[in-house]
Amino acid sequence: MLTKLPTKNAIKWLMLGLTMGTLPHFLHQPVWVSFVFIFALAWRAMNAWYSWPLPSKQHLFLRFIQLAIAAIALIALLFSYGTTIGRDAGVAMLCMMLGLKLVEVHNFRDFYVTTFLGYFVVITNFFYSQSIPMVIWMFAVVSIMTSCLIKVNDPSDQIPPRKMLKLANRMLLQSIPVMLLLFVLFPRISGSLWGLPQDAHSATTGMSNSMTLGKISNLIQSDEIAFRVKFDGELPPPAERYWRGPVLWQTDGTTWKELNRNEQTAITPNLNFKGVEYHYEVTLEPHNEHWLFALDYPNQLPKKLGAHFSSDGQLRSNDAIKQRQQYQLSSQTQFQFNALDEPYLDEALSLPNNHHPKTQALAKKWIKQSNTPRQYINTVLQHFNQENFYYSLTPPPLPGDAIDDFLFQTRRGFCEHYAASFTILMRAADIPARVVTGYQGGEINPVNDFLVVRQRDAHAWTEVWLKDEGWIRVDPTAAVSQERIEQGITDIMPTNMRAPFFIAPSRQLFDLWLTVNNNWNAVNNAWNLWVLAYGPELQKDFLKRLGMQNPDWQKMATWLAISIATVFSLIAISVLYQRKHPDPVTHLYQTFCQKLSKYDLQRQTSEGPLNFAVRASKALPHHEKDINTITQRYIDLHYGKQTTSINDLKTVINAFKPKKAP
Amino acid sequence: MIQTLRHYYQRFEQRRNRRIYIVPTRFGAVFVAFLLLMLLGAINYSNSLGHLLVFLLVSLGNTAMLYSNRNLAKLELKHVHAENVFLDQQATVQLVFFNPNNYHCHQIDIANKPEQSASRNFFKRMAGYIPRQSASLLESTKTTTAHININTTRRGKETLGSIRLSSEFPLGLFFSWTYFPTTFEVLVYPKPEGRLPLPNSNGISHKQSLKQQKGLDDFAGFSSYRAGEPIHSIAWKALARDDVLRTKQFSSPLDGRLILSWQDTNSISGTEARLSQLCQWILEAEKSGLSYGLSLPNTNINFGYGESHQRQCLTALALYHAD
Repeated sequence: MLTKLPTKNAIKWLMLGLTMGTLPHFLHQPVWVSFVFIFALAWRAMNAWYSWPLPSKQHLFLRFIQLAIAAIALIALLFSYGTTIGRDAGVAMLCMMLGLKLVEVHNFRDFYVTTFLGYFVVITNFFYSQSIPMVIWMFAVVSIMTSCLIKVNDPSDQIPPRKMLKLANRMLLQSIPVMLLLFVLFPRISGSLWGLPQDAHSATTGMSNSMTLGKISNLIQSDEIAFRVKFDGELPPPAERYWRGPVLWQTDGTTWKELNRNEQTAITPNLNFKGVEYHYEVTLEPHNEHWLFALDYPNQLPKKLGAHFSSDGQLRSNDAIKQRQQYQLSSQTQFQFNALDEPYLDEALSLPNNHHPKTQALAKKWIKQSNTPRQYINTVLQHFNQENFYYSLTPPPLPGDAIDDFLFQTRRGFCEHYAASFTILMRAADIPARVVTGYQGGEINPVNDFLVVRQRDAHAWTEVWLKDEGWIRVDPTAAVSQERIEQGITDIMPTNMRAPFFIAPSRQLFDLWLTVNNNWNAVNNAWNLWVLAYGPELQKDFLKRLGMQNPDWQKMATWLAISIATVFSLIAISVLYQRKHPDPVTHLYQTFCQKLSKYDLQRQTSEGPLNFAVRASKALPHHEKDINTITQRYIDLHYGKQTTSINDLKTVINAFKPKKAP
Repeated sequence: MIQTLRHYYQRFEQRRNRRIYIVPTRFGAVFVAFLLLMLLGAINYSNSLGHLLVFLLVSLGNTAMLYSNRNLAKLELKHVHAENVFLDQQATVQLVFFNPNNYHCHQIDIANKPEQSASRNFFKRMAGYIPRQSASLLESTKTTTAHININTTRRGKETLGSIRLSSEFPLGLFFSWTYFPTTFEVLVYPKPEGRLPLPNSNGISHKQSLKQQKGLDDFAGFSSYRAGEPIHSIAWKALARDDVLRTKQFSSPLDGRLILSWQDTNSISGTEARLSQLCQWILEAEKSGLSYGLSLPNTNINFGYGESHQRQCLTALALYHAD
C-alpha cells in the first residue's frame, strides 16, 4: 500500500455513517452531549466542504481547543453521571469521543479505528432498543460504515456512490446466511460475564409498588404492552381476567404501600383450588421489579424461572425482571385463600390517624344497620351503584382529604379511587381489607391469538377477609362501571384516546388502523419471542426441534462447522465462479446467429462465418446485403482490422430483424 | 504409479487458475479485536441483536475475503514491452492486462522482483518485491495498460522478473496478491559518454579522417527510398516537388568507412568507460550518417548504418562480458 491519506469523500461518508449511528442516542442523552458531537461534526464538515483548518501540528491552537473541549466534556460527564462506567455515561462518552475523533481523522489508521467505532455505536443502540424499526435503521448504518471502508480503499474515486452502496449491500446480503447460522448455532452463554452497570436496564413504565391517587391514570394513557399471554386451550371469561400484582396494605391517607418485605415471615399462603384449570404462558416485558403477573392464583410455581409466593399471595421472581421473561403457569379462578387463619389481620385493619372522619362516620352508621359483613359489603356496593358515582378517566383533582372528598363531593374516579375508598370503608367497619393492584382484561389479537395486556389495562381492586371464607375479591369499580370489567378498558375509552386524532373520526380508517396495529403487534410478538428471546434455553429447545439430541456446545460447534462450510462454499461459488466473458465481438456475432436460427439456419461448428453467410443469403435472399455487411464487419473486427468499430457492428446487428421471404 | 500421479497433478496445476494468496491486514486484525469486544458486550448484556450484529460483521469479514480474491481472479497479463535504454536512464515497461471478468477490478498495486530466490522458504520467496505503480481500475472485459519505471543500475540485461499484483480492495481487511512470472528483459546499453573524437580505425590520421568525412558529402544522385534508410538521407526538397520518396546517395570512398575499435580506446582505463566511449561514437557516427563497424575483442560487426545496425552495435556493447 502506497502511503496515501483518506480522501475528503471518504471522510464525508464517515460523517454520514457516524451521524446516523449516534442519532437515536440524541433522543435520550443530555442535550449538551449531542451538542458536543454536533459541534465536532460541523467543524469537520466545514473542513470537508470549505477547507477550514483542523487541529494538527500546524494548528496547535486548534489542537488546544479540541483538548479543552474533551477535558470539559469529561468533567461535565463526571458531574452529570457521577461515573464514566455505566451504560448511559459510557454511551455519552462514546458519542463525544467519536465527534472529537472525527475532527482529527488524518490517516488511514484513524479512519479505520473510527469506522470500527461506528460499528460499535450500532451495538450500543441495541442496549436501548431492539425494535424492528431500530434494526432496519441500524442495518442502514452498517451499510454506510461498510461503504466507508470501500470508499477509503478507492482513493481515486473510481466507484460512483450508487455502485459503492450496491457493493456494500451486496456483500452484506451475501453475509446474511452465515450470520443466521451463527445466530442459531453459536453456543449461547447465560448470565453476564462481569457485573452489569446499575443503569444497564433503564426504568420502564409500569406498575409501581405504591399507589397514590392519580398515579395509575398516567398508565391509562400508555399504549405500551405490559405482557402477552398465550393460552393453551380455554380462555377465562373477560370478567375473570384479573392479573394480580403488588398487594397494598399500609396507607397514610393518600398513598398506599406494600407490607415491609423484610418484616414479612416466609409464610406460604394456604390455598385450596377448585374449578377450571387454565394453562398459559406469559411473556412479560421488563419492569425492573420483582413481581410476576399471573391470572389470580397460579396453582404452582413457574418452572423455568426462580420465583416464590409471598405471604400475601404475590408471585414474585427471585431476581428483578430486567429483560423480557417467559414463564408457564396454570391457574384456577376459584379458590380459598387463608380461610382459617390470616397472619396480618392487624395490618388489614389499620387506619391512618385523624383521616377520613366523614368516611369513618358513614361506615359506623352502615355497620350498625347490617347483620353480617356480607350485608355490609353489599350496602357499600349498592351505594356506589345507585348514588351518582361515575367512572371517569379524567377525574377532578382531590386536594383535601382524598377519600372524604371523593365519596362525598366529586364522585368521579376510576379503579384506584373506588378500591381505596372501599378498603377504607371496610377497615372502618372492622372488616380486614387490602388493595390489590395489577391488570384487568386485555385484548385478543386475532392475528396470533395472543392476549395482549397493556399498561392502560392497569387496575386496582379490593380483597376482604371473611372468617372461614378467606380473602375474597371485591371489585368496587364493577359496581360503578360493569363495562370496564366485562369489556375491558379499551372499549370504554373514547376513540380519540385510542387512535391519533386524524384517524379517530372515521370508522373505516379506525378499523383499518386497528387491523394494522394487530398485525404489527403480532409481528413484534414473533420478533420478541424468536429473535430477542433467543438465549441458552430457547436455543436448546429450538435445536431439539431441529433434531439435535441433547444439544451441548460440542454438538453445536460440529453442526456450526459443517453448515458454515457448506453455506460458505455455496456463497464462494456464487461470488467467484463467473463464466469468462467471451469478447464482445464474438458475443455480438452469437446474437446474430441466434436471430438467424429462427429460420432453421444453424451455423455448424465446422462452418466458417463466410460460408455461413453464403448459405444464409441463399435462404433469405432479401437480407443478403445485411448478412454480408455484418459478416464482413465481424471478420474485420475479429482479425484486428480497425476498419470498423464494435459500435458499428452492434448497430447493424440490433437493427437486423430477419423476416421470411415475401 | 507415482509418475502417473505426478503427471496428473501437473496437468491439474496447469489447468487451474493462478494461485491467489490472501492474508489479513493489520486493520483486519484490529477488526477482529473489535468484534471480540463487541461479542463480549453482547454476551454480557444477553443482547440478542448484539449477537446478530457481531455475527453479521464476522460473516462480512468472510465475504470480504471472497471479494478480495475476486478482485484479482482470472486477470491476465497479455503483453509486456519496453524500449531498450542507456544506463542511468529509466526503463519504462509497458504492461498490458486483460480483465476477462464481467466486473471491474479496483485499486491494484503492481510490484516486481527482478531476482528470483530459489529458496524453498515461501516467506523468503514472498519478500523483496518493489512497489512500482497502482492501477486504480481494470475495466471489465477490457485491456488496461500500466507503465512501470525501472531504474537501471548496470549495463547488460535488466530482468523484470516476477510481477506481483496486490490489492486491499474492497474493505482493506485483507491483503491479496498473485504472481505473474515473466522472462522479460530490458537491454541496458552503456552510458554514452567520453571526450575522444571519432577515430579512423584504418590508421588514417585525424585530419585526414575529417577530410574523408567531407568526401562523404559528394552527392551522387537519388535512389528510391527503401525501408530502414536513415531519415536524414531523405531528399525532402525532392519530396516536396513530386511526392516521391527518394534518398540522396553520396559517393564515399571505401577507406572513409569507420571501424570503431576497442583498441582506439586504449587511452581510457576501465572497461565500462571504454564501452561508454564506444557507445558515444556509435551515436555520433549514426547521427552523421556514416557507415561504421564495431570491433570488440570478442565480436566484430561489419560496416553498416541505420537503426537496426545501430541497435546491433549497441546490443554488442551492452552484452560485452556482461554476466
